Amino acid sequence: MKNLIKFELQKIMIKRLTLVSITSVLLLSFILSFATFQNMYAFDGKSNEGSGRTAVEIDKSIAEKYAGVLTDEKMHQIMADFKPTHDLHGMNAQYLYQNAMQSAAFARFSDMNGNWNGLSVSDVFGVEEIKIGYVNGWLNTSQNMARVFIALSLVIILIIAPVFSGEYGGVDNIILTSKYGKTKCATAKIIASVLSALLVTILIIVFHLALAFIFYDTEGLDSSILFAPQEFVEGYIPFNITCGTVLKYQLILALSSAISLTGITLILSAICKSQMIAFAVSAAVHLTPIMLPIPETSPLYRMIVLMPLYHLQYISIMSVEQMKSGMLYAIWAIPMAIILITFGAVISRRIFAKHQIS
Amino acid sequence: MELRTNELIKRYGSKTAIDHLNITLSNGVYGLLGANGAGKTTLMRLLCDIQMPTSGKVTLDGKNILELGEKYRALLGYLPQNFGYYPDFTAMDFLMYVAALKGLGERQAKKKVAELLEAVDLEKESRHKIKTFSGGMKQRLGIAQAMLNNPHILILDEPTAGLDPKERVRFRNLISAFSKDRIVILSTHIVSDVEFIAEEIIMMKSGQVLQFGKPQKITAEIDGYVWECTVPSNRAERYTETLNISNLRNLENNNTVLRVIADRQPMENAMQVRPTLEDLYLFYFKGVSKE
Repeated sequence: MKNLIKFELQKIMIKRLTLVSITSVLLLSFILSFATFQNMYAFDGKSNEGSGRTAVEIDKSIAEKYAGVLTDEKMHQIMADFKPTHDLHGMNAQYLYQNAMQSAAFARFSDMNGNWNGLSVSDVFGVEEIKIGYVNGWLNTSQNMARVFIALSLVIILIIAPVFSGEYGGVDNIILTSKYGKTKCATAKIIASVLSALLVTILIIVFHLALAFIFYDTEGLDSSILFAPQEFVEGYIPFNITCGTVLKYQLILALSSAISLTGITLILSAICKSQMIAFAVSAAVHLTPIMLPIPETSPLYRMIVLMPLYHLQYISIMSVEQMKSGMLYAIWAIPMAIILITFGAVISRRIFAKHQIS
Repeated sequence: MELRTNELIKRYGSKTAIDHLNITLSNGVYGLLGANGAGKTTLMRLLCDIQMPTSGKVTLDGKNILELGEKYRALLGYLPQNFGYYPDFTAMDFLMYVAALKGLGERQAKKKVAELLEAVDLEKESRHKIKTFSGGMKQRLGIAQAMLNNPHILILDEPTAGLDPKERVRFRNLISAFSKDRIVILSTHIVSDVEFIAEEIIMMKSGQVLQFGKPQKITAEIDGYVWECTVPSNRAERYTETLNISNLRNLENNNTVLRVIADRQPMENAMQVRPTLEDLYLFYFKGVSKE
């Protein structure tokens, strides 16, 4: 069995298409991460401003100054330190960006003109204790990963789609007449598919984390996402969780997505007689849920967000209200992945074993 | 060991590919002859359990092969007519993979693969990717994979297609040496290949068996139907239009020797000759000249 898994992995991984597509995703990851890093801007409100590495250093030094639990005093201090000193020409000060800390404070506590809007920390965040710090690095990494994961999901479909359908081109004759062709071979294919999907996903994750470490270091993992600058949609997740928690969920969801997607693709790979059709149908099935006009208030939305595409677009699934136990609803992605891969394994194995040569 | 088909029927929609077929095969080499569409490949697929019969069954020593499953496939070696391969695999990788599918242990597989690569003359190319192989080399690789598990039932669909004469001789010798105490079934359009190797011939037409027996016995069926006559070369072409000619040989004196299949003497100087398997094939698949 070990030998068969090794060969099935080899069949998946040594294809030129697989290598090219994985390299492309790595390249895309680097370009996105590097461009984000280079385009970062920060102004300390006095004289120091810059982009790239300078911006990161300015943001970090400002974050260090205010680090800790957000209080009304700190909020007023930030508002005062970064109060606009020039005419905004009608621009809403809530959208003003000087640096990460200023943007986070003004987005929530400023009126149009840059004056305090009268809300206290408890008015905005309730009784929650909001730990503030340097969140830009991790949230940028998280956003870039969410973008890249869409491309990654298509790569996973691309490499898994031929697992069964690719054999229908003629090798099926040989496989299905061999001793283990209808039994262990199909199992080895399924195991190799799951391993490939996980390996590719882990490779991309590690690459992103390595880049994040190089560009931003590890600061801010324990800071709340709720006090994020205006541009971060992570701020829409309505729970007081840290960057570290978001990242942990995002990585778990990426892996659960890879497993779920493998399950779906394996079924279609066993059904479709051509690898191209298997790829096209799997991609369509994968991408369709996001096009469905289902409002977030609909009970159906809770089901839809359990589909693998939403695991990757983790903001949606992580925004569903918490369960009674206090756990995030997103945790349901794990049993969903187990269900999908189990179905995928059982059905694809059965279809392949019953396949009739034509 | 006895492989038997019982009232085997295979239909594709309204077309019947195998029609109430009953044959019993015991150890020996069987040559499957028939025109395109006669049902040879379908029969082989049914024997290999990669197509389900519409009705009827295939049994091995009285047991249905569908129920035997892995036990049956462990005894089986199959070379399909058209088989796919993994272009990025080397010949060695491919054979090691098939060996794993056939349940061979790694050490045993390595030994067997080396042995077969030598037997099919692919030793030097064992580390080359299959995508660089010629048609004949791929065919030889196919033959090697079919024999990896020392199958007791070896089914070869057009095994000599794409092989040059030297390779065909090598293949015939390989099969002859291998076939002891085994069932070997091979189909081919090259009648001479079957003539050399097969102990028994199964001649098929429209999914049914027309003839089944030893070559001498079944060719005896058309004793008196095969003639040879010498005609002027400039008239030979005219005869090919009206007679069922199985062979045509030009002589140096502007004459041509025609080998004719006919139920009566086709011309005055025609003499009866001993029929061959090729004559028998043409007798059934081209029809008898009634001139």
